[in-house]
Amino acid sequence: MNLEPLKIIARKELSDGLRDRRSIYTLIATTLFGVVVIAFMLNQIAGQRKSADEITLAVTGREYAPVLIDWMSQQSGVTIVPGPANAEEAVKGKKADVVLVVDRDFAKDFDQSKSANVKIYSDSTRRAVQPKLERVKSMLNRFSAETASLRLIVRGVSPEVIAPVKVEDVDVSNSQQRAAVILNVILMLVAMSVMTAGMQIATDSTAGERERRSLEPLLLNPVPRWQIITGKWLAACGAAFVAMVASLTLYSLVLRKLPLEDAGIRFHLGKPEILMLIAAFAPLAVLVPAILAFLSCFARSFKEAQSYSVFLVLPVAFTGIISSFYSLSGKTWLVAVPLLSQYAFASDVMAGRTPAPLLLITAGVESAIIAAIFLRMAARLFTTEKIIFGH
Amino acid sequence: MIRAENLYKRFGNTVAVNGASFAASDGSVTGLLGPNGAGKTTSLRMLYGLMRPDSGAIHIDDCDVVASPQSAQSRLGVLPDQSGLYGRLTTREHIRYFGNLHGLKSAELERRIDHWIEILDIAPLADRRVAGFSHGEEMKVALARALVHNPQNIILDEPTNGLDVMSTRTVRDLIRRLKAEGRCVLFSSHIMQEVSALCDRIVVIAAGRVVATSTPDELLSITGKTTLEDAFVSLVGTNGEAA
Repeated sequence: MNLEPLKIIARKELSDGLRDRRSIYTLIATTLFGVVVIAFMLNQIAGQRKSADEITLAVTGREYAPVLIDWMSQQSGVTIVPGPANAEEAVKGKKADVVLVVDRDFAKDFDQSKSANVKIYSDSTRRAVQPKLERVKSMLNRFSAETASLRLIVRGVSPEVIAPVKVEDVDVSNSQQRAAVILNVILMLVAMSVMTAGMQIATDSTAGERERRSLEPLLLNPVPRWQIITGKWLAACGAAFVAMVASLTLYSLVLRKLPLEDAGIRFHLGKPEILMLIAAFAPLAVLVPAILAFLSCFARSFKEAQSYSVFLVLPVAFTGIISSFYSLSGKTWLVAVPLLSQYAFASDVMAGRTPAPLLLITAGVESAIIAAIFLRMAARLFTTEKIIFGH
Repeated sequence: MIRAENLYKRFGNTVAVNGASFAASDGSVTGLLGPNGAGKTTSLRMLYGLMRPDSGAIHIDDCDVVASPQSAQSRLGVLPDQSGLYGRLTTREHIRYFGNLHGLKSAELERRIDHWIEILDIAPLADRRVAGFSHGEEMKVALARALVHNPQNIILDEPTNGLDVMSTRTVRDLIRRLKAEGRCVLFSSHIMQEVSALCDRIVVIAAGRVVATSTPDELLSITGKTTLEDAFVSLVGTNGEAA
């Protein structure tokens, strides 16, 4: 079989599409807008995290625990100030956010190697206080662990004896979660540019062909109809891929420039991650142009075809939003749902978890089958007189 | 060589073509003449394989159009009723695109593109994008793109419709040239001067039926009129229905 026409048609549609300056500038502008908004939001969060590093801690009864207080004030970014006499009232009345109260017997208990008591007062409903609270707790834990180790060493015991399990601290604080939501929103925005780029060529080369009255001469060439529609689809897929790689690279470059790691926001967007994300969205780049090419056959004009594309944009956007707010990681039933499974895979990649390849295999196979069905239906429409001549 | 036998086509309750038979031979120009709505465009669309006749047979040379429309299309050069161009492509790119789709390549294709650009006198437009071309200029691009594969049989649906004097003249010269090269040219028109100036044979069609097939002179003697216009009116009737 001569497949040359596929190449000829795809090449023509791509160079035609590339000359459509207005659509290309719109695509670039919307992508850049997304990048700027995301960068701004992540920067905000990073700023909040940083403020947790600079804390002023009110301590009531600091004179009872000079060792602890000295150690704490040596920690970077910590300033100790005298606390209120009634810590509970002060926190309730929002006069203080976190108050550390040292027990009267602290020094005595500490010297006798007994557990010495401190109390932390805070209001768990005030979310903004959480990072500071976490910081204080972790300082106390570290002090406690260091002291315990010293005491054991003095008694000739390895400190590892009391650490049968070594715990690595995984920060799931508020801002970390918000950062995760935003990283997932990036995935949705990438999916959107994939769709927009694919849509443009898919609709312009079917509905646009009718609107320009150029379909009849095109179909007069001795080329099978399925090759005409498939060639157009290939061009749309190509555009979608280019948009996907470009926007992922852009996000990766911009995110690397932000002080996210310093602020403890974990994200992974290096070369291997970009490749995996491309794999995650590839089924979308294949599927969307095929469905649109089919829908556009019914449209009398390019504009009408674009209004049909809302039916495709909405599900992609909604699944994107759902996956930003609900953790989809590790849910096996996802395998059956193409879009959700792709988002789940992608957000695992972004969060540095090991994604399950099965999620993509089924999405890939399903998308390929659905795309093939729609292309076949579109090719059949291209042989109907109603569609060609619009009677 | 184009042959149509007993073509029949209906859309819903409307019979568009009602048993039309006609032929166009090599080395001659055949005009399909008829009032608006007589079934000219529908007949031509069946000839070039984009519409299937409800019944009847069509042959381009020895090729059965209904059975294998694509091999018929490779022997046909068609200027269809709808002849839209791609605004962002240049003249040369239009011709090259269709040449490619007909399997033409590289130097041979470029040679033919230059050839048609010269014949249609559109050299200044060759590398300009077609957005903003005048109707006459668009028509010439569409003609070059339809003829790039050197088809033996040529179907033109109202090729001079809406053209100015100069463009009309170019198209007429082209049709005469194609005839001189021994090709089979079939074109439709509702304009009398066009048909009388160019045609060796005239097929008069009205209400989906062929009402006369003859040379222009014979048409006058059959109807006993002195002008082709009177002959035409007496054949199709004043309301466009066959007499």
